[in-house]
Amino acid sequence: MLGLNLPVVIVLAAIGGVLAWRRANTLTWLLYTWVALWAFFKYGFAVPIPQSVATIYLGITGLALVCFASSSRERLSETVQPIVRLILEPRYRLALAGLLVALPALAAYNVYADLNVPLEAPGFGREVHPPPPTEMTVHDETVDMATAENPYLHYKHDDPELYGEHLENGRRVYYENCFWCHGDGMGGDGMFAHGLNPVPSNFNDVGTLPILQSSFVHWRIAKGAPGLPGAGTPWDSMMPAWEKFLTTEEMWDVNLFIYDFNGYEPRALGQH
Amino acid sequence: MAAHARRRARRIATFAAAAVVLVALPASAQVDLGTEEQRAAGKVVYDKYCGQCHGDTGDGNGYATPRVKPKPRDFTTGTYKFRTTPNGMLPTDDDLRRVIEIGAPYTSMPGWPNLTSAEIQNVIYYIKSFSPDFENPDRYGEPIEIPRPLESTEESIARGRVVYEEQGCAACHGEVGRGDGPSAPTLVNDKGDPIKVADLTQRWTYRGGPTKEDIYRTFSTGLNGTPMPSYADSLEIEDRQHLVNYVYSLGNSDEPNYGTLITAVYSEEPIDLQDGETLDALFEAAPTTRFPLVGQITEPGRNFFPSVTSIEAQAVYNRDEIAFRVRWHDLRADTSGRNSPSLEVPMWDEDNGIGDDADDDGGDSDDFFGDFGGEEAPAEDDFFGDSGGDDFFGDGGDDFFGAADAGPPGAEFSDAVALQFPASLAPEGTPELKPYFLYGDSQNPVDLWFVNLTYGVADTFRGRGSESIEPTEADIVEAVTSYDQGEWTVTYKRRRSSRAGVSFAEQQYTPLAFSVWDGFNRERGNKRALSSWFYVYTEPSVQPATTFPIVRAAIIVLLLELLVVFLVRRRARQQAAGDEAAGTTLATTEAPAV
Ligand code: HEC
Ligand code: HEC
Ligand code: HEC
Repeated sequence: MLGLNLPVVIVLAAIGGVLAWRRANTLTWLLYTWVALWAFFKYGFAVPIPQSVATIYLGITGLALVCFASSSRERLSETVQPIVRLILEPRYRLALAGLLVALPALAAYNVYADLNVPLEAPGFGREVHPPPPTEMTVHDETVDMATAENPYLHYKHDDPELYGEHLENGRRVYYENCFWCHGDGMGGDGMFAHGLNPVPSNFNDVGTLPILQSSFVHWRIAKGAPGLPGAGTPWDSMMPAWEKFLTTEEMWDVNLFIYDFNGYEPRALGQH
Repeated sequence: MAAHARRRARRIATFAAAAVVLVALPASAQVDLGTEEQRAAGKVVYDKYCGQCHGDTGDGNGYATPRVKPKPRDFTTGTYKFRTTPNGMLPTDDDLRRVIEIGAPYTSMPGWPNLTSAEIQNVIYYIKSFSPDFENPDRYGEPIEIPRPLESTEESIARGRVVYEEQGCAACHGEVGRGDGPSAPTLVNDKGDPIKVADLTQRWTYRGGPTKEDIYRTFSTGLNGTPMPSYADSLEIEDRQHLVNYVYSLGNSDEPNYGTLITAVYSEEPIDLQDGETLDALFEAAPTTRFPLVGQITEPGRNFFPSVTSIEAQAVYNRDEIAFRVRWHDLRADTSGRNSPSLEVPMWDEDNGIGDDADDDGGDSDDFFGDFGGEEAPAEDDFFGDSGGDDFFGDGGDDFFGAADAGPPGAEFSDAVALQFPASLAPEGTPELKPYFLYGDSQNPVDLWFVNLTYGVADTFRGRGSESIEPTEADIVEAVTSYDQGEWTVTYKRRRSSRAGVSFAEQQYTPLAFSVWDGFNRERGNKRALSSWFYVYTEPSVQPATTFPIVRAAIIVLLLELLVVFLVRRRARQQAAGDEAAGTTLATTEAPAV
């Protein structure tokens, strides 16, 4: 759920629980908050958030914690006291020496690790569902994107038999053309998907077909990657412009089929 | 009383039944065709997820069949490849379950991790109902025993190599296992379809699985319906274990470990393509990255079953020049035909001329060609006119069918490779913008460094989309090529700076993409294996020192710590002095107001 790395989240929450139970002092809480957030950003997500973003969050959190600590005299002294004691009291001498060595070592290691991250290809953001044009021409016919709808969808209720024929034709089109990329089960994991960047859309996903109007899907099928605006990085996507291979009817049929296979309905017209 | 007797009677009956089952076990106990309901439930799963390939009647003739290789299994024949049972026998339910769960890698047979265990069992019952063989107890065999693998010692591997030679594996799999044995180009399966020999050096492409146990099973039971035989009778168990270790030693990973970037390393040395040894030494120092290749199925001339599934690449550079080396496996060197990035591929060739699509589609297809023929034909004419490829066109027509039928397969087209770079880079700081990965587009052209392996020299082309690829002479790209035991190696060299094309500055990420053509598979023009855009990174020629920043970080932190300690202590001393002076007794733990 939410792409969280659950074990990490649970461990962090557990540590927080222990601290609450042992009635930890303010300083411990402040340190815990910051370190826990750091660990959460670094290990808490299945897909880690970018380093630069995490650094900004942590910086803001650090500032907030400083503000909190210095918001009243008592709080400030509660926070600073343990540190002062550590520095002044002879019985903590060993701990102080340990800290004096450990922190520089940590800093050194951090720099070392930073210098040794394996090189990666530069990553770029990409808009997955960029706004479609207001109209397009497919096989010499003008399609008004605001009003166009799958012309065969209404057969589902009006003429189930005819609907079934269109579906079967859509099934044929899909398994003659699409499954290499979008996958046999439509999970975006076809036999060529590992070689594609961006990866093919996953039609099982509730965040794809159900939030799109059938005209949007028609646009994507007919015009493919080359029809995308710049924000959709048309130069990288392997999605073909199917008007080169398929008739208009075939494109609507496969549109019908990918919705039906996953048990979804297109988003109704006029909804945004 | 009565109840007691009944219970005893039942217990006796159970024992008797168990005894009967035990006696009969070797033959008929395995005949388990499921219940009517289970098969009906299996049919529902099958019709939704399997019929489009394996055919709604199980005959292997689904919609996808003309466009995939190997073909989906024909379930009416009872012939199965991946089994723990002896050669010629039926698979066990567990064998079938294994394939359905994890699929057959690098074929169109996917794994179905989303199906529940019960759904898989039901679909297995349904699949079995397609072939009467499953009712015949004689077709069932005991699964073979797979011993624990031996440790891969040098002796074991050496012994395995001897077995490999003695048993003639090399005739099909090649001397070092790259799938390039002398018989490889001629092999067909029991349906007469050409079959590709496994490349033993790329374990991740093994269809039956990459582990030592899988390998042992594969050559012990053989792959029914294919030329891959069973060696159960000819090899002692121990020799089989050594052979496993040898086969395993041919590859170095279960995973392809695909990368997204090549790092070009700097060298002071001159790059001389003619001096093989120095060149090899140069590249030895450069890291190797493997990139995935897939069939070009985005533009007409689609290649649904490319032969080459990955390519390895490296790069080195010196002050003036940059060199790229690419390597890939190919079952034979096709160096007699022609090839070019822009060779025309007729529509029917998409299915290798074997698809009877036209019959299936009926009216649809006709409409289709009617619609398009008119629009597209002129464009093609222009195109061929431009590039002066009159001969091409002559061949591209009807002769083509003739040529495909006659003569040794593949002789017509040569193997080839191309590197693709943007003709210019987006200025730094602007949003990412690249040419279309398929030969560029009208606004953003690409440069192709194309090598037809018949000639072994690099030709440069400028691509502005698949319909507009023209030779350019702007940059001189040199190349040397070699084919050794199933592996092509092509090394390119060019000046780093260019006025017409892309320049390779230090610390620059330059997009690059690959194309590979296997003439044997009739690949040419847009019918090719290709990659997405990846990058080459030119590493700085002077590596920045690493110790200094590390030591600096440690020292700065230490100084800060000492400063805090010093300040706190001084403050405490001052306070103590002040307290004494004032004669008050304040707790020493009172925090200093910082
Ligand atoms: C060569 C690979 C490939 C093939 C074949 C292919 N697609 Fe795609 N498709 C992609 C990729 C990659 C994306 C995601 C990138 C993008 O949006 O362009 C995509 C995106 C889409 C989208 C947009 C979904 C969304 O969320 O906006 C639709 C709809 C679609 N494909 C339908 C189809 C249909 C229908 C077919 C067969 C007729 C097909 N595709 C064949 C690669 C492919
Ligand atoms: C996209 C096409 C496709 C789909 C969908 C598909 N298969 Fe396959 N299947 C294949 C191909 C191709 C092979 C042959 C692989 C080979 O020969 O290496 C195969 C082989 C098999 C085999 C035989 C393995 C052997 O030992 O010989 C079984 C069993 C099988 N499929 C079951 C299924 C089931 C069950 C489903 C549905 C849940 C399914 N397949 C869906 C393409 C497909
Ligand atoms: C007559 C030719 C031939 C000979 C001889 C032969 N093989 Fe094969 N082998 C094949 C073919 C063809 C395949 C691919 C079958 C397929 O993918 O369906 C194959 C596949 C394999 C595989 C991979 C199976 C998989 O899971 O994809 C292994 C491992 C293998 N052979 C080992 C051997 C060994 C070891 C020997 C010698 C003891 C041997 N082969 C002899 C033709 C041969």
